Amino acid sequence: MTSNEAGISLVAREDISWRKDLISQLRERNRSQTNCFADLISLHNRLFESANTLRNTNMQLTIANETLRREAANGNIGIGGNSDLEARLLKQAEELAMLHKRKGEHTQQIVDLNNKLQEITKELQAKEISLAESLEANANLRLEITKCLGREKETESINQMLKDEHQALQLAFASLEEKLRKTQEENRQLIERLIKYKARDAEKMNEENDNFLRKRQAKMQKELEDAARDTRPVSPDRLSLKEVAGLPTAVPTKVSVTFVHTSESKGILVGSNAGVMSVDFDSTGTLILGASNDYASRVWTVSDLRLKGNIVGSRHSTLVALSVQRHYFHADPSNYLAKLPHLHP
Amino acid sequence: MANDREVLREIWDGKIPVCFTLNSEEICDLQGPDPFYLMVPRLSYFPLCTEKVRKHFIRHIQSDKQEHEMWLEFNGIPLKWHYPIGVLLDIYFNDIQLPWNIVVHFDKFPENVLMHCQNKEVVEAHFLSCIKEADVLKHRGQIVSSMQKKDHTQLWNGIMNDKFDQFWSVNGRLMETSTEEGFKYIPFRCYTNEDKYIQKLVKPMNEEGQRKTLKHLLNEVFPDQENVTVRTHGIVPPLETPLQWMSEHLSYPDNFLHLIVITS
Repeated sequence: MTSNEAGISLVAREDISWRKDLISQLRERNRSQTNCFADLISLHNRLFESANTLRNTNMQLTIANETLRREAANGNIGIGGNSDLEARLLKQAEELAMLHKRKGEHTQQIVDLNNKLQEITKELQAKEISLAESLEANANLRLEITKCLGREKETESINQMLKDEHQALQLAFASLEEKLRKTQEENRQLIERLIKYKARDAEKMNEENDNFLRKRQAKMQKELEDAARDTRPVSPDRLSLKEVAGLPTAVPTKVSVTFVHTSESKGILVGSNAGVMSVDFDSTGTLILGASNDYASRVWTVSDLRLKGNIVGSRHSTLVALSVQRHYFHADPSNYLAKLPHLHP
Repeated sequence: MANDREVLREIWDGKIPVCFTLNSEEICDLQGPDPFYLMVPRLSYFPLCTEKVRKHFIRHIQSDKQEHEMWLEFNGIPLKWHYPIGVLLDIYFNDIQLPWNIVVHFDKFPENVLMHCQNKEVVEAHFLSCIKEADVLKHRGQIVSSMQKKDHTQLWNGIMNDKFDQFWSVNGRLMETSTEEGFKYIPFRCYTNEDKYIQKLVKPMNEEGQRKTLKHLLNEVFPDQENVTVRTHGIVPPLETPLQWMSEHLSYPDNFLHLIVITS
């Protein structure tokens, strides 16, 4: 310090000038920068803090106020201790008890209802499941239905086809039938014509026979006349007896009449064991009667040339067969001999 | 020995009004917070005075960012907390209108510009390292190493609590000179801009044993420039001011002269 003071005193003048300058600058600085703001800032800080404190206090007071109000609200009920309020309290308590009881009942009801609800829910679930199953089955069935429909359609188409075919066949059949009928008709006409021709043939033959017979009769008459002229006494009975006794030998041994068939053979009638002496058609023209030399007559059908039956019983060979309605005589002794079967049954 | 208490007191009492506002992008309430006004000592550091600011703004930012480190910005420039407030004020003197408007940030810490400052111990360590550096220049570090732990603490508490006497009772010893020659070297930093400062070994006396003045110092630091003026503590000290006296009286608490070159 001493040295400094000495220094200062030595160069006091200049020292003072720079120091003065410095000091004045510092003071000026502090005055302009510090002092004028210091109060303001400190005041601001004070206000700031007080504002903060007040804010906190305010909040605390609000809270306190709130709690007090709540307490006051609670306290009001407690304070009302007079008889009226007590009676009301008692009533309220009773009511409360009743309400509790009812609450219990309700709880029980709720439990019951809950149980029921659960059951119903279960049922519902089961039903839903069955519904789902049914739906599935339904869907399956529908599928099947569609399948069946498809099949039916197919079948129908097949059916249609078959029907068409059937129709076509029917048509073919009808046409064939028509043809058949025509053919039958033709056949019948042909048969008719055949019969006609046969009848004509027979008539011709009959005529010939008649002619022949007439000639014979004429001859016989002539002979008879001759014989009558002879006048020899001959007993007719004896003669007839002699004729009967000699009957078996009366069988012709030679062909008296020969039919010559101009047409070719239509068929062969088999079954006869000996020579056929005579044949005849029945009235309808469907059967042929043949008299055979084996003591039997036989019947054939014309259409299929089959043997229908034998007529046996004659002890002698049948010479002539004849139909019932028509009388043909084929051989000269037959006129008498034909009755023999009746004579010797 | 620094004995001019009048000057020391004036310097100590230098305070400036600061208006802190929260970065508008980080406000998460409907109603943004009010700006926070504070008188801060020029000799102090920002982390020592912004505790209340943090408390004030922290309710208004998103909850997941509340643990983030707070940082300050002026005119889009992050403010370096390790400079004394007065130095920052002098650096940005031309742009500043009082009260000083500072924007408070919690998000997007500028890692490349600022050092992290988690608590006051970091500031204290920085402060003490500065004192030690200054004492090495002044007394080859003899005084500071002879001090006890409690002396360091007292220095620090003096700054922290703005106690002039508590601080100077210890700091006075650091300012003592045993010889007539004064300090071995004058500890100073000469800022040319916000990022850069020049340090040089400058003795308080010349070879003829005469006291050097500020003018001598500036001539040594800027040999090719004339009429260089500097600002410190918000004032422009006269060029005739003796260096030894300046170092004793105009040093910041970290025992350095922080001289900001005035660019006109």
